Amino acid sequence: MRNRLYTPFICFALAIVSIAEISAQEKFFRAIGTPHEPKVEVSWNRYNTYDGVVDIMQKIAKAYPNLTRLESIGKSVEGRDIWLLAISDFKTGNPDKKPAMYIDGNIHSNEIQGAEFSLYTAWYLTEMFDDLDFINELLKDKTFYIVPTINPDARDNYMKEPNTPHSPRSGMLVLDNDGDGEAGEDRFDDLNNDNHITMMIRKSPTGRFIKDPQDSRRLIRVEPEQQGEYEMLGFEGVDRDGDGRVNEDGIGYYDPNRDWGWKWQPDYVQRGAYKYPFSLPETRAVADFVMKHPNIAGAQSYHNYGGMILRGPGAEEDLDTYNREDIRIYDAIAKKGEEMIPGYRYLVVYKDLYSVFGGELDWFYAGRGIYTYTNELMVSYLYFHKNEGRGNQEEELKVDKYLTFGDAFVEWEEYNHPQFGTIEVGGFKKNFSRAHPGFLLEQDAHRNMAFTIYHGYHTPKLSVLDVEEKNIGNGLREITATIYNERLMPTHSSQDLKYNIERPDYVALSGVNVVAGMVVENADFNIVKEQTHNPQKMEVENIPGMGTVKVRWIVSGGGNYSIKVDSAKGGLVEWKK
Amino acid sequence: MLNFPIAESFSLFLVSNHLFDYRKPTFNMKQRILCGVLFFTGILFLAAQNDYPTNQQINQRLQSLNNDRTTTLTSLVKTEGGQDIWVLKIGTGDLDNKPAIAIVGGAEGFHVLSVELALQFAERLVSNHKKALETTTFYIFPNMSPDAYAQYHASLKYERRGNAAKVDHDRDGSVSEDPYEDLNNDGLITQVRVESPLGDHKTHPEDARVLVKANRNKGEGGSYQVYSEGVDNDKDEKFNEDPAEGIAFNKSLTYKFPVFEPFAGDYPVSQPESRALLDYLFDQWNIFAFVTFSPANNLSEPLKHNAQEAKKRVVASMLEKDVALNKMVSELYNKTISQKAFQQDNQGTDGDFFQWAYFHFGRLSFSTPGWWVPEVKADKPENGEGEEKPEKPKEKPTVTKESNFMAWADREGLTNVFVPWQTVTHPDFPNQKVEAGGIKPFVMHNPPYAMVDSIALEHTNFILEFAKMQPKLEFHNVKVEKLSGGLSRITADLYNNSPLPTHSEMGEKSRWLRKIRIDITKDKEEVLAGNTINLIDKMDAFESKTMSWIVKGSGNVEIKAGAAHAGFAVLNVKL
Repeated sequence: MRNRLYTPFICFALAIVSIAEISAQEKFFRAIGTPHEPKVEVSWNRYNTYDGVVDIMQKIAKAYPNLTRLESIGKSVEGRDIWLLAISDFKTGNPDKKPAMYIDGNIHSNEIQGAEFSLYTAWYLTEMFDDLDFINELLKDKTFYIVPTINPDARDNYMKEPNTPHSPRSGMLVLDNDGDGEAGEDRFDDLNNDNHITMMIRKSPTGRFIKDPQDSRRLIRVEPEQQGEYEMLGFEGVDRDGDGRVNEDGIGYYDPNRDWGWKWQPDYVQRGAYKYPFSLPETRAVADFVMKHPNIAGAQSYHNYGGMILRGPGAEEDLDTYNREDIRIYDAIAKKGEEMIPGYRYLVVYKDLYSVFGGELDWFYAGRGIYTYTNELMVSYLYFHKNEGRGNQEEELKVDKYLTFGDAFVEWEEYNHPQFGTIEVGGFKKNFSRAHPGFLLEQDAHRNMAFTIYHGYHTPKLSVLDVEEKNIGNGLREITATIYNERLMPTHSSQDLKYNIERPDYVALSGVNVVAGMVVENADFNIVKEQTHNPQKMEVENIPGMGTVKVRWIVSGGGNYSIKVDSAKGGLVEWKK
Repeated sequence: MLNFPIAESFSLFLVSNHLFDYRKPTFNMKQRILCGVLFFTGILFLAAQNDYPTNQQINQRLQSLNNDRTTTLTSLVKTEGGQDIWVLKIGTGDLDNKPAIAIVGGAEGFHVLSVELALQFAERLVSNHKKALETTTFYIFPNMSPDAYAQYHASLKYERRGNAAKVDHDRDGSVSEDPYEDLNNDGLITQVRVESPLGDHKTHPEDARVLVKANRNKGEGGSYQVYSEGVDNDKDEKFNEDPAEGIAFNKSLTYKFPVFEPFAGDYPVSQPESRALLDYLFDQWNIFAFVTFSPANNLSEPLKHNAQEAKKRVVASMLEKDVALNKMVSELYNKTISQKAFQQDNQGTDGDFFQWAYFHFGRLSFSTPGWWVPEVKADKPENGEGEEKPEKPKEKPTVTKESNFMAWADREGLTNVFVPWQTVTHPDFPNQKVEAGGIKPFVMHNPPYAMVDSIALEHTNFILEFAKMQPKLEFHNVKVEKLSGGLSRITADLYNNSPLPTHSEMGEKSRWLRKIRIDITKDKEEVLAGNTINLIDKMDAFESKTMSWIVKGSGNVEIKAGAAHAGFAVLNVKL
């Protein structure tokens, strides 16, 4: 009787489950390389405001509580939280003791896609943890600290307020840029209310430009002896303060990427520097976090644009800081990156880009000993598989004609300007050129992520490879442990060793009475260096990449013992007998 | 005769545990206080201050200064050690738009004199020189190193630079694991010397109390190893390399920051007090000059110009025109200050404050220790001029800072500046003769307190004289010409009536000094020629610039020219 009553219900329930399963199986077929039916659904072909970024981070944290920790590392100028996701297998050791990879984006507020690329990384790692052995092992060994936007205020300003593709770049502090004692009194004006700051042109008998008869979007310069029709008046704006200049004092200006504490220089040497290193709350929040997390061994910062994998030095004056041993590792990782991200080139900031004092990557490397790259995301190559360089107008007009069908351009339209009279306003939108169009976003995010995974993978991985024990008479034993680092990066970069930035690695023996301790510098010829003070806890200055270190103790008495390796950037390893 | 300080501001303080006991008749503390009380009671004051003040006494003096209507006392932040970082702003009227001088004391914690000089300047200014406030505003930062300063009055006294932050100075992974130890239990950290043929020091040929480095180039052997007083706690063969103190204010600013060196830290401006000071300064647009009391000295002699270093992108020499200004101010200093320069070879050290104020803040910046050990000339040889020279010229006596100091102390009868060498047991040298002793801390950088009064008086005068040189904008040769149709042409010369330019050569480069802005209060439509707002990069010393406007209409027009750090000139014209 009862059975009969329940049976239909059970059948019904089963039917629902199987329908759900069937529908998934029928509707989707797994694509290699992408999480299939992820717990957190995200569209990777659009951009997210600050609220959108936080929403995705919260969803990931909620879906994967054993793989993530969501924390605010500080507040921005306008009081927004700067959120960080720590991603690791939290069941296999303290994530803040594992070798770690730090990733941030969007330090320049208009360089938005770094946030999406960072988020994609967090999403991919968590969604693939159960699917792929490689990712599973990676998160057992490592921690990824991911901060999608370290400039949240101005990210929102870029998106929500009228801007050019290049503004605000700084954060939202408003400084006096023209030295007149007033701050931000002459900003852009969105004359045509389209939320984009485009260009102003005006018909003039002395103008040197005409509209291209083949393509009216384009202004072309006339021959020297020809009469033109238009003059260029710059970005949309009016002279608000009556000093005869337009748009000369907007939001900012300072550059958060000139605010870092290695060989920092003031504004007259390095334009964009603020008051002193970490005088901005956003950069200070990152610096404080990094100082408290010496386990960070690799770092990545996302900018746009131009398709570059950049390393320091930022300034020629700092050339000596990057020494040969460390450059070898930089080269090995970045050259692999060039293969993973077609169109991107591995370059050095000071000689291939421009000179920067007080940049983030220099502080991470020179100030903290962390191998760090900056990627300039988005490159012309992605459009037509030709590298036409940055800001190639011909190519951009072609892209908007054949690939984006006019979505990127504001057609010229007349406007009555209070100072210039009748003008025309138009041009490329702020979210074109520097920012990827949606259809190119996911692929480039994945490739850049793959590069950071490769980078993170090659942070040190330590193990106790071998322990030899020898009886040397008089109740004494000689114990020799070989510690192996099976990845590219040493536990201390040579910059780190030069300044003792991070403490030495400790190899500690416990359970037996230690008579003497020494580092074996050459096992074949028994060349050793004794440590007289506290020999049970041997201090090893470095464990090289793809190399070993041997530590030896002379101990008295019998019994079992254990060996603990404790390295700030190499993690914790224990061996027991 | 007892020489008590005669300061303008008298307050009764508890006499603190004092270090100096210099006076010729050596009284003990109680006798001296009693003496003082007897001496002064009938004359109004109980001037009991006979040593540099404690942090608490400094706070009291600042609080009492704060009772004056011209002063505002603000705590910028509390240090890790719980001490306030004070700024005393002194001025009248529109004080934010008058050129200002900032006075900084306590750049180094062991330089206790500097705090007193800054404080006394404020006290003398408020009591006797209020007239200066009509034209100049003053910012007094009496003590930038109160945590380190406190060591002067602590039970264990040593020359301390660092604040109370926990810092691993030798970067070995352990914090403060090798501090000083008072081996002879005298409450002072001096030196230890270990008798050893391996030593690189020997006793000074003229003064056996003092040790000098053996001159290996002349084949001299040494007989002592010399260390600071303490043991090698962490057995790394270095003594006291990781003391229990933190970051030094005067070694942690951005100009030539000595990264990763002891007392400097991992990055510049890392400490709450340095951040709070800089944040505050960046908001004070009217400061045109700094006078810092710190060991560096560019007042006895100006900084030198190095054309190559000045031309570099990262500027590393004072710029040429600014060296000329420095020279002019040095001349004033040497005219006002009676002490002759001697061994003043510190013209700035990496990460220090006074160079920051010039190189990274673009202001005129001057530093002086305020006092130094005067030169003590050796007795002249007997033979006079024209007489036959001795066969072999007598070797010049070795004068070191220490031997000169001891000679001076002897001359002044200062009996309490030296700890006689005394044998101690030292765990690191179990079988050797080890002695602790030497010159006491502080005494080579700070004069006996009784001398401070006259030093402070002279330095107050110097600052006040210097203030008179400040940029001064004036309008001259004002002309209003009537043109037809209700138009007028206004012409005037803007004149900087000062031997100083409104912007130093460095200041002109800095975004943290405003330009000279000229505003005419007329609607834009009524100004036909000449703008309503004009900006000028700088006005040189005694430079004049002619300006003119064509304006429409009648009535009063106000023209205002200046910048906070250069002051303002206002011109009223009736059309």
